[in-house]
Amino acid sequence: MPEKYDEKTILEVRKVNYHYKANRDKKILDNISYCFEEENVYAILGPSGSGKTTFLSLLAGLDVPVTGKILYKGEDIQKEGLNHHRKENVSLVFQSYNLIDYLTPKENVMLGGKENPEKLLAAVGISEGDWNRKILQLSGGQQQRVAIARALASPAKVLLADEPTGNLDEEIAEEIIEILRKSAHDLGKCVIVVTHSKAVADAADMVIKINSGKIEEIKNF
Amino acid sequence: MNVVQRGLRSIIRKPVKSILLLLVVVVISSFFMAGLAGQSASIKTQDATRQAVGATFRLEGNEANRHKRLDEAAKKISEGEDGTYNGVIFKHFADGSSMVKTDNSFETIKPEDAEKIAQVDGIEEYNLITVSTVVNPVNFKRIEDSDVDQSNDLGGVNIRGNRIMEMDMDVSAGKIEIVDGRMIQENETNVCVISEELAQFNQITLGAELQFNNVKDKENSRIYSAKVVGIYKTTQKIKPVMSGDSYRSENTIFTDLHFPEKASGEEGNPLFQYAIFRVDDVRAYDRIKAEIEKADIDWERYDLIDSDGNIKSMAENFNDMEKMSKMLLVLVSAASFLILVLIFLFWMKNRTQEIGILMALGESKKRIWLQFLTEALLIGSIGFVLSLGVSPLLSNATASYLARQTQEQAAADAGSVSTDYVAPELTIQDTEISITGNMVAIDAGVIAGLLAFSVTIAGITIMRKKPKEILSEMS
Ligand SMILES: Nc1ncnc2c1ncn2[C@@H]1O[C@H](COP(=O)(O)OP(=O)(O)OP(=O)(O)O)[C@@H](O)[C@H]1O
Ligand SMILES: [Mg+2]
Repeated sequence: MPEKYDEKTILEVRKVNYHYKANRDKKILDNISYCFEEENVYAILGPSGSGKTTFLSLLAGLDVPVTGKILYKGEDIQKEGLNHHRKENVSLVFQSYNLIDYLTPKENVMLGGKENPEKLLAAVGISEGDWNRKILQLSGGQQQRVAIARALASPAKVLLADEPTGNLDEEIAEEIIEILRKSAHDLGKCVIVVTHSKAVADAADMVIKINSGKIEEIKNF
Repeated sequence: MNVVQRGLRSIIRKPVKSILLLLVVVVISSFFMAGLAGQSASIKTQDATRQAVGATFRLEGNEANRHKRLDEAAKKISEGEDGTYNGVIFKHFADGSSMVKTDNSFETIKPEDAEKIAQVDGIEEYNLITVSTVVNPVNFKRIEDSDVDQSNDLGGVNIRGNRIMEMDMDVSAGKIEIVDGRMIQENETNVCVISEELAQFNQITLGAELQFNNVKDKENSRIYSAKVVGIYKTTQKIKPVMSGDSYRSENTIFTDLHFPEKASGEEGNPLFQYAIFRVDDVRAYDRIKAEIEKADIDWERYDLIDSDGNIKSMAENFNDMEKMSKMLLVLVSAASFLILVLIFLFWMKNRTQEIGILMALGESKKRIWLQFLTEALLIGSIGFVLSLGVSPLLSNATASYLARQTQEQAAADAGSVSTDYVAPELTIQDTEISITGNMVAIDAGVIAGLLAFSVTIAGITIMRKKPKEILSEMS
């Protein structure tokens, strides 16, 4: 691989195999290798049950491959510890249930990073009146946006999001996509988004398709 | 946001789970405290009971030694001769018969010996009690039962001198109550306290001078008089020392220490049957006993009797009470532990999502555990403080219940032991349980330990899992 490519690589998947213990025969990931670069937005597509969330959780260090490695800046993430990886290197948005219910939206964002929680909340479209409300009084979409704000608040270089715009209006979804693009292109982050949305896929710099344990890279033009 | 800040928010903003734990801690802590109080009450009650029973020592003549001294005297006075040796008198008559007599000096407890024992550290006060001495009532009549054969009776009344009347065995045992006037104090002379029956029968009132003389020489012996300073009634029957109306309870007259010897014509030659020593601190009973036994007196002449009521049998009951309290403590601890583990399992289950999120944010399991522990301890300390308000009530109830049980048992046991000495009514003046700093500290330590241990046990179930597993349980 060219040297320039290596330099920009921040997260590398190397010969990763994965299957769940409950179902050893079904290979979710079958000897996958891939390099994620800084300043890029990646969209991961695939049918339901194809292993997108599983893949993301391996990248996030929430689980470990059966064989193979995940490397952050060239170093196995297990070396420094998965806690450290989750705390320092990546920020996460789950498919759902992202927030701690006894903390306010603002406090939840501050779990990601202390700087400018208000500005980030405003950026994802949460109005000031909702900043200090109870989480359970927010709609699902609002909760999802707070979770995105929290991920954005983190100084981590890699942002992982599982269907972040799944239950958002098209209009807000577009704004979120724009914010994600900016944090990749302006702040130099590596943004990896699992999605079913055509709009997100279109906005991504790179599209990766998962199917039957294999991945396929499609460049966006 | 640190662990404590997050813990505080969780406690306040999710109050139901906090209140649940709070209540449980209050109950656990109160019961535990009650158990501790029960233990300390058992010790306190033991002391109080001893005090109520009257922790004393009684000195009386040793019977074997008395015979030994008699034999000794017989040897000293060569056979067939009259003589006196150490208070033993031998007389031979012309018809070949002989007589052995002892005088008061042979029989008495020597006052100087009693005085030596009284010097022992820990003896608060002592009393000398004369033998019940039958004397002739000169200017009043004794109470008599006309149906009873009085042929063997001397026809007198019995008088008993005390150094301190309050410490007389029957008085301190509560068998006698002053209904008019007062008791006889130390160092008084020529005073007496009579029964209300005798007073009524003879129309005697306080201040009257009663006259007595030697019952064996009613006509010629010198008459001594004693002023009536008190009238008593018997609350429990006094057992007469011998049969015959001379000794009957109504004819018993308490006098100052030296009156009996005078009225019986033996002035300067007293006969003290008992010396009683009151202990100032019952807890030091055994130590004081050891001290007394070191006193420089002829111990062969005496028996030192533990007059501590039936403390031996009581001690067993108190041991039972201590065991019960201990068992209560163990049971409370075990039950608490189970309940707390269940509560924290419930917490963990309900907070899976939160645990998952925190883990995804890179929070270590240790810090998550620390947050739960912080919450548990914060709630625990509030519960603990609240329990300090509740537990005195509960502790008192428990302690006095246990004490009452024990005392009833002790009283029942005492009743079945036949002795001259009847224990007074067992009243515990003070089962009020003060919760000591020590108890509070133990309770706090145990509660904290239980909380920490159960949070850890409950936490293991969650902490063993991988974050991914926790997250898949979330949705
Ligand atoms: N904890 C688990 N134990 C066993 N099998 C699992 C577990 N989690 C997921 N799977 C299986 O692994 C496969 C991949 O699941 P995954 O959640 O990664 O799919 P996905 O691509 O994210 O689907 P979706 O688009 O519906 O979110 C599925 O067949 C699923 O049934
Ligand atoms: Mg998924």
